[in-house]
Amino acid sequence: MLLTPWQRALRIGAAWAVVSAFAFPIVYWLMIAFKPDRDIFSIPPRVFGFVPTVQSFEEVFGISLGFEHGLEVLPGGGNFYMLPRLWDSIVIAVFSTILAVAIATLAAYPLSRMRFRGQHHFVFWVLSTRMMPPVAVAIPMFFIYKNFGLLDTYTGIILIHALMNMPLAVLLLKSFFDDIPVEIDEAALIDGASRFKIFRKIVLPMATGGIAATAVLCFIFSWTEFLFVLTLTQTSLKTVPVVSSTFVTSTGTAWGNMAALGAAAMVPAFVFILLVQKNLVRGLTLGSLKQ
Amino acid sequence: MSVMTLRMPRHFISDHPLPWLLPLIAILLVFAVYPFFYNIWLSAYEFIPKRRGLDFVGFDNWLKLFADPRLWNALWVTLFYTGICLVIEVALGMAIALLIDSDDPGFGFLRGLLTLTLVIPPAITGMMFLLMEDAQFGVIAAFLGDVGLIAPQTSILAEPSLALWGVVLADIWQRTPFMVLIFVAGLRALPSDPYESAMIDGASGWQILYRITLPMMGKVIAIAVLIRGIDLFRAFDYVFVMTSGGPGTATYTLSLYAWQQTFSFIKWGYGATISLFALFIVLLVANLFVSLTKLRW
Repeated sequence: MLLTPWQRALRIGAAWAVVSAFAFPIVYWLMIAFKPDRDIFSIPPRVFGFVPTVQSFEEVFGISLGFEHGLEVLPGGGNFYMLPRLWDSIVIAVFSTILAVAIATLAAYPLSRMRFRGQHHFVFWVLSTRMMPPVAVAIPMFFIYKNFGLLDTYTGIILIHALMNMPLAVLLLKSFFDDIPVEIDEAALIDGASRFKIFRKIVLPMATGGIAATAVLCFIFSWTEFLFVLTLTQTSLKTVPVVSSTFVTSTGTAWGNMAALGAAAMVPAFVFILLVQKNLVRGLTLGSLKQ
Repeated sequence: MSVMTLRMPRHFISDHPLPWLLPLIAILLVFAVYPFFYNIWLSAYEFIPKRRGLDFVGFDNWLKLFADPRLWNALWVTLFYTGICLVIEVALGMAIALLIDSDDPGFGFLRGLLTLTLVIPPAITGMMFLLMEDAQFGVIAAFLGDVGLIAPQTSILAEPSLALWGVVLADIWQRTPFMVLIFVAGLRALPSDPYESAMIDGASGWQILYRITLPMMGKVIAIAVLIRGIDLFRAFDYVFVMTSGGPGTATYTLSLYAWQQTFSFIKWGYGATISLFALFIVLLVANLFVSLTKLRW
C-alpha cells in the first residue's frame, strides 16, 4: 500500500517505539549487571544515573579486573563464583547438539527421500514427542536415572536434552532435505551410487546451511532449558538458568550477580540467533513454514 | 524395458529406511516410550515414608486426582494462562507484524532486535520480571503505579488477583516476538494479486485486513497457535522462579503441581498421575487441533 510521507514517518516512529519497549527489559537487565547494590535498591526505582561497576562480574567469574574485590563467601559457605556452571552449560549444550543433529540427519534422510509404509504415522509419532509436557518425562526419568546412576551426570542431561531436541531436529532437517531436488539422488542411483554415498557426498554438503541452523537452534534450546536440569541434577552440575534461580540469600537476592551471570548467558545466544535469522521462522515452526 | 526401470527399483527397494531410523527409534524408545510406561506403572503405586518403599494402590491415585480441588484449580489456571497468552500474543503479534513488515531502511534491524527475547532462558526472564515487578525496586510496578493501573507499592506477584497477570506479562514480553516473526514471514509469502484488485475496488484498510489478509494467513496462524499452545500448556519455568505457585494457589500450573507433589511432598505416584493427566490432555487437544486445521508435516 502506498503511504504518504507523514504516514511513513508515523510508521517508522511507531515501529521503533514498539521494538524499544521490547528491548527495554534486556537493556535494563544489562544495566543492573553494572550497577552497585545501592543503585539497584533505590526507592523509587531509577533506570539511569549510576556509577557503573564491574564488581558483579568479578564475583561471578572469579576474576579481578583491578577493583580489589575478591570472592565473597556467603553464609552457608557458598559464593557467586559461577564459571564452572557456565562450563556445565557449554558442555551440555555442545554435546547434546552434536548427538541430536547426528541422529536427526540420519533419520531425516529416509523421511525425505524414501517412501515406506507407516511413514506418515512415524513422522506424527516424532511430532507427538514434541507435545509431551517435560514434567511427564522428568518425573519418571528421575527414578530411571536413579536406578542407572545417571542422576547428576553430564551423560544423563546430554541424553535428555538430545531427546528434547529430536523432534525439532528431525522435522527441520527433513524440510531442508526436501528442498534438495530428488532428481539429483535419482541420477546418482542410476550411476550406481549407494544410498549412504549419496547422503554423504551429495545431500549433506548441499544441506550444510540447514544443518548449521538446526544445530544453532538445538544449542539454544539446550542452553535455555530449565526443568530437566532442575530435576535430574543435584550438586555436581547445574546449568546457568537453574543456578540463576538460586541467587536468593539470607540477606536478599543478589540481583547484580544474577544479572551479570544472565548477561553472560544471553550474549552468546544473541550472537547465535542473529546468525540464523534466515532460517529462524522455519526452525520455530518445526520446518513447516519457509521464509 | 529400459535399463533405467530395471535398475532403479532394485536400489529403491533394497535401501530399507530402518537402518537410518534405528538410532532415532532407539532414543525415542528409551527416553520417551519407556518413561511413559514407567509413569503409568508409577501412577499405580505410592511412596510410603514409614516403610521407605512403594505400595501398590491401583487406581487410587486416579480417584484421588478426580476428587482433588487443587488439581482442578491447577487445570483452570493452566487453561486460563494458555488462553490469555494465546489471545494476547496472536493479536499483539499480528499488529506488530503488520507494523514492521516493511522494506524501509531500519526495519530489518528492528526485526532482528525483536528475535533477541526468544533466546533468553525463561528462568532468567522470570528473575528479570521478579525484580521489575517488585513493589519497591521494580520499574514495571512503579510505572503501573504512576499511570494508576495498580495502587502504588503493590507487590504484583503477591496479590492473588494480579499474580497470574504478572506471569502473563513475562510470557507476553518473551514470546510475542515469536508470533511477530512467524506472521511477518507469512505476510511476505502472500500473493499480491488480491491486494491489487481490492485497491482497485476501493476497499478500506480494515476491509483488506479482515477479508483478505487474515483469511489467507489462516494456516500460518494455526501453526503458531499449535506450537505456542503446546508450550504454554507446560508452563513451569516462570511460575517456578517467580511465584512457586503462590500466593495461595493462584499461579499453580499443572506442571508445577505435578512437580511439587513428586519432589517437594514425596508423593511420587500422585505426581506421576498428574503429569500423565497433563500429557493426555495436551495430546488429545493437540491432535484434535492438527486434524481440524489439516496441518501436515
